[in-house]
Amino acid sequence: MEFENIYKTYWDKIFRLCMGFVNDYDIAQDLAQETFIIVWQKLETFRNESNIGTWIFRIASNNCLRQIEKEKRFPKSELPLHITEEKHYSLEPQIELLYKCIAELPEADRIIISLELEEVRQAEIAKIVGLSEANIRVKIHRIKEKLTQKFKENGK
Amino acid sequence: MENNNKIDFKDLWKQQTISPSNIEDLLSKLKHFKKASLRKIIVVNILLIATSIFIVFIWYTYQPAFISTKIGIIMTILAMLVYLLVYNKLALFYKSIDSNQSNSEYIKKLVAIKTKQQFLQSLVLSMYFILLGSGLSLYMYEYTSRMTILWAIIAYGLTLSWVGFNWFYLRPKAIKKEQDKVNDLIAKFEIVNNQLKEDL
Repeated sequence: MEFENIYKTYWDKIFRLCMGFVNDYDIAQDLAQETFIIVWQKLETFRNESNIGTWIFRIASNNCLRQIEKEKRFPKSELPLHITEEKHYSLEPQIELLYKCIAELPEADRIIISLELEEVRQAEIAKIVGLSEANIRVKIHRIKEKLTQKFKENGK
Repeated sequence: MENNNKIDFKDLWKQQTISPSNIEDLLSKLKHFKKASLRKIIVVNILLIATSIFIVFIWYTYQPAFISTKIGIIMTILAMLVYLLVYNKLALFYKSIDSNQSNSEYIKKLVAIKTKQQFLQSLVLSMYFILLGSGLSLYMYEYTSRMTILWAIIAYGLTLSWVGFNWFYLRPKAIKKEQDKVNDLIAKFEIVNNQLKEDL
């Protein structure tokens, strides 16, 4: 697959994954770009034995984990909601709440739920994260319960 | 779609405003990317190698007579070379991680690398100061032996207190600072590592 095609197909998905991880538009954009830089560098080494989507999501989620190293600079989840909103994009509060809630989850859960919402099959999620499929199923169930709970608390 | 509530998370998820994809921007970044990541390594290498060459040049021009001077010079150069070697090695550690492994393998690798880094940093810093300090003391001997005793004592006193200051104050401080940073990071990675354990 050509790099440009991959980029067009996956940019939105990867951006959302990063956004779910950091809940910060600019950082998410940097993370997504870094991901594609790695994809570009490693494309030659990609063998078709695994799904290209799985491959890219692995690179993206590992890159998100690497970002923990830089995290001290921005305590993102402590920011009140409206500050992110004041930036150049106004979102429906519901969408914003969802991303904020996800970014407050433990790191591994952020990746798992983002992939689930991106409609990646659970077998693939298991391969990306490195847990068993059964475990992923349980985790997704729990995370969704947590999210629903948070939504209810916020007056939905 | 959701079985346990009315909120359609998937639908909300997809409505997120996406940063516009801009492939030209990305491609131009790609060009600079490699250069930028190599620049720091190159600068450190050039600086230390240039210093070493300068020291060799001094040796060549002034032809020291004492063996102690020559050993001193070799030790200071060795100090810089050891530092360089490890510095370069640490920089390459990161390149060696395969980003296409599962998250749980990846985070274990990160922990391993950071632990190694922590060990090397304190070891190398100590070695650097020992080599540099003793190298300098040996190097000075030839020149101070031509001075009056008083000046020789002053020269050694100043040098040794400088070396001592580095050893007893700067070195532990530098090591502690690095270690705190790395320990912090390892702790964070460990937390994620624990999140990635099966918990049925």
